[in-house]
Amino acid sequence: MIRNYFKITLRNLWKNKAFTAINIFGLAIGIAASIVIMLFVSFENSFDKVHSKNIYRLNEVQKFEGMVQAQNVALSMYPMGPTLLSEFPEIKNFTRVRQTEKLDLNNGDLRIILPALLYVDSTFLELFDFKLLIGNRADVLQNPNSIVLTEESAKKLFADKDPIGQTLKKFVGDTITYTVTGIIENVPENSHLQFNALATFSTIVRPRDKDNWGGNWLITYLELEENTDIVALEQKFPDYLKKYMAESEGWKFYELFLQPLSTVHSGSADITHDYLNFKKFDKKYTAIFSIVAFIILLIAGINFMNLSTARSVERSREVGIRKTIGAERYQLAAQFLGESLLLSIAALLIALTVVKLSLPAINELSQRELSLPLNDFPLLLSILAGTLILGLFAGIYPALYLSSFNPIRVLKGALYTGKSKSTLRNALVVGQFTGAILLIIGTVFALRQLQFMQTQDPGFNKDQVVIIPLNRVTSQKYETLKSELLKKADIIAVTAAQQRLGNNLHQAGMRFHGDGPIRELTSSQVIVDPDYLSLYDIPVIAGRNFTKEESDNARAYIINETMAKELLEDPLRTDYESLIGKKYGFGGMDSIGFIAGVTKDFNFNSLHHKIETLSIFCQKDWGFAEVSVKVNGAKLEEALRNISDSWKEVNQDQPFEYSFLDEHFEEMYTADRAVGKVVSILAGLAILISCLGLFGLALYSAERRVKEIGIRKVLGASVQNITAMLSGDFIKLVLISTLIAWPVAWFGVRRWLQDFAYRVEMDIWIFIAAGCIALLIALLTVSLHAVKAAVANPVKSLRTE
Amino acid sequence: MIKISNLEKIYRTEEVETVALNKLNIEVKEGEFVAIMGPSGCGKSTLLNILGLLDDPDAGSYLFNGIEVAHFNERKRAELRKHNIGFVFQSFNLIDELTVYENVELPLIYTGVKAADRKSRVEYVLDKMQIMHRRKHYPQQLSGGQQQRVAVARAVVNQPKLILADEPTGNLDSSNGNEVMQLLTDLNEQGTTIIMVTHSEHDAKFSHRIIRMLDGQTVMENFLA
Repeated sequence: MIRNYFKITLRNLWKNKAFTAINIFGLAIGIAASIVIMLFVSFENSFDKVHSKNIYRLNEVQKFEGMVQAQNVALSMYPMGPTLLSEFPEIKNFTRVRQTEKLDLNNGDLRIILPALLYVDSTFLELFDFKLLIGNRADVLQNPNSIVLTEESAKKLFADKDPIGQTLKKFVGDTITYTVTGIIENVPENSHLQFNALATFSTIVRPRDKDNWGGNWLITYLELEENTDIVALEQKFPDYLKKYMAESEGWKFYELFLQPLSTVHSGSADITHDYLNFKKFDKKYTAIFSIVAFIILLIAGINFMNLSTARSVERSREVGIRKTIGAERYQLAAQFLGESLLLSIAALLIALTVVKLSLPAINELSQRELSLPLNDFPLLLSILAGTLILGLFAGIYPALYLSSFNPIRVLKGALYTGKSKSTLRNALVVGQFTGAILLIIGTVFALRQLQFMQTQDPGFNKDQVVIIPLNRVTSQKYETLKSELLKKADIIAVTAAQQRLGNNLHQAGMRFHGDGPIRELTSSQVIVDPDYLSLYDIPVIAGRNFTKEESDNARAYIINETMAKELLEDPLRTDYESLIGKKYGFGGMDSIGFIAGVTKDFNFNSLHHKIETLSIFCQKDWGFAEVSVKVNGAKLEEALRNISDSWKEVNQDQPFEYSFLDEHFEEMYTADRAVGKVVSILAGLAILISCLGLFGLALYSAERRVKEIGIRKVLGASVQNITAMLSGDFIKLVLISTLIAWPVAWFGVRRWLQDFAYRVEMDIWIFIAAGCIALLIALLTVSLHAVKAAVANPVKSLRTE
Repeated sequence: MIKISNLEKIYRTEEVETVALNKLNIEVKEGEFVAIMGPSGCGKSTLLNILGLLDDPDAGSYLFNGIEVAHFNERKRAELRKHNIGFVFQSFNLIDELTVYENVELPLIYTGVKAADRKSRVEYVLDKMQIMHRRKHYPQQLSGGQQQRVAVARAVVNQPKLILADEPTGNLDSSNGNEVMQLLTDLNEQGTTIIMVTHSEHDAKFSHRIIRMLDGQTVMENFLA
């Protein structure tokens, strides 16, 4: 019996190639998209799962005076780990982690730059289950100046030599010597902590750090007892802070909260200063992907249902004959269900091929290393199970419907074109197109917001700026480098800063002394060279720019408008000018500083964030982290060659590295851009599948009404009349879909845009355009058949009846 | 074998009530060959459908081999049907996607006959119907007469006690029609009961008895043999 079903199924599918192709292709696209999303989601969920301990990250909420809004940061203070451990029995262990700037190591003549060295407490390997390959887990991080290398780093530094006991020195600056004590497995891609080497924290800790409450420069991870009541524990933190920060009253500005290790990668969207969070990705986007994949699968499933029931006319005779010669309803239902299962398996095979072939491109896009392990039996089994469920879901209704036919009626040629059936079919088409239109609107807004963020004037000029990193040695020669650079052609201006625009700038407590009482505030701060504002075209709207006079160095502050507005709350201040010359400076110092000027606000961070208060400070002696060189864009190559030459003249043995500032800004939106691309691809697929379905339905509708069309033509209907009649039914459905999709899209888009501090308008025309696009595509799809049916010779269609 | 009494079937649409069978009484004995004749709309096809257990009556009694089947549910009807009744249609009603062999094999599949037995039985009837050489062809590749022979083969492969034929020669020319009638006569001679609806007086002459119907009732019975 099975063989008979199988045979007739294959022949049937072959006979109706268009139907088969539409169904298999649509399902394959849906399944392929779902598999990719599934791989992505499971990769995202696999982050940090290798660690078996009950680990939490300690985060702070900072709400200093002068901040536009409180911020969650993934930072904590050095004394917190040990004091928390002693205060709370539910805390079993802790480790602190501090990332240095990239480490420039040398081993004899060999010079290796390790991009990520972490300073960690000796307990690091007790909390985290990173696999130690060589060395004793309990010992390797016990002593100061110990370093544990990853396999890869060890290979780079020592090739095939035994690295244990070898020493390493920093290439420049102070000469810490590290002794290699262990080799650790390379850090997997799905770890939020990424490093090339671990060194003991005690190597860099200074005595005063031990009581440095208020300095947030590291991350603390806590191991808690199983079943710890997190909320109850967090409620005890305010008293803890009061106890330890009573003196400075710092407890007023902090709250502490705990974040499970499993949510660090995907649940940290609202946490800033989150420097050690590899490929941080908002789980909200993962959810959006899953929803969209589900919609696509649904659309593909609906296609299947619709096309199968639409073909009932053709299949009805077969049902009648089979029933007459003894088939029972369940046998026929099983036969039809078998057909849909067979189709879905065929679709699965195509989908797997598509996924396999497109994974490199997907990985490029998603910045992940997704793979489809064809030997992962449980995975394949779950994909197969999912496909069969899809086939079952899509096939059950047609199977029940087709098998219900009354043999007498169908054999007499009575067609099953009941109103209720087409109502359901219409409802499903409306559902499909509603989904497709939602996706069109969502995609357009996502792309527009992205475009907006990338082209929005950030308030400073980031074009043609070359960034060159400095280290402790080269930063001492900055002035020489600057004067050398300025002698060269095609170099327009040179400046330097301790931090780069487009990053989270560090924050500092500031003190303002107007005519009222002294105010303590916090603002983002950046230390710069005097030419900074002019190179970046940041306008000064009150007071003046920095001068090169010695009197400005280490004294003059320029604040942004947001900060100025904050300071204007001082009773006697009326305008920005009235702030000029007032005493101002870092809270910690006995301030001899003053406000020299106010700049127009500019977005020193990504447009996800509102502009925060900012203090710009001119201080040559503290050294800079980066040089910014404004070059002649028309002669970029010459300019770069000149920069490189100047660098070699000044810093002979130091490597020359550079990047472009606008590239850095583009990188800020990499995640957004990837999301935009993924969503537009998925939306395109959804529309494609919907149209395939519509195409199929139009085909059958035209076939079914061949006789009616013939009669109408004989009676005088024109081609246009017929085309309009056939297309009209579908167009109505698409119009209804549009009406349903609009309000849903409106709320969805509004909700999404709320996450951006600076966002595009909710233009009505996009909604209208999306509806029109869907309508147009539907019209094109449907009218193809409608015209074909309309121009056919009626004599032929009537004669064949 | 078949005894129906006071059988009624009424078709209702929103406005019109059509009486298809009006207190009809017919008895058919085992081994009989009965032809049912009458003008279009007289109720003969309705009668055939009820006799074939494809449809149920609104009132009255239908005894099949002494069992009251008038109120059988669909499942029971299907069960009884597949073991006891074969159908031959005017328009053949072969499944286009299946070959001659597979079409004939189908009823055996539904009655659960084992594959090995199926082969011999299908080949036996194909041979008897003289279409063995066409067994791998699809219906569209055959002439009308050949298609109807396949349909008859399919109807008899399960060795039913009763064959219901609905204008079996309606779509055939006279020589092919005669061949099919000869097949039915042969089957009848071998013991199968046959009830045939026809418009053709010529075909009706092959039967033992002609029942003439009008407006859902029998109006005349002619015994020929």
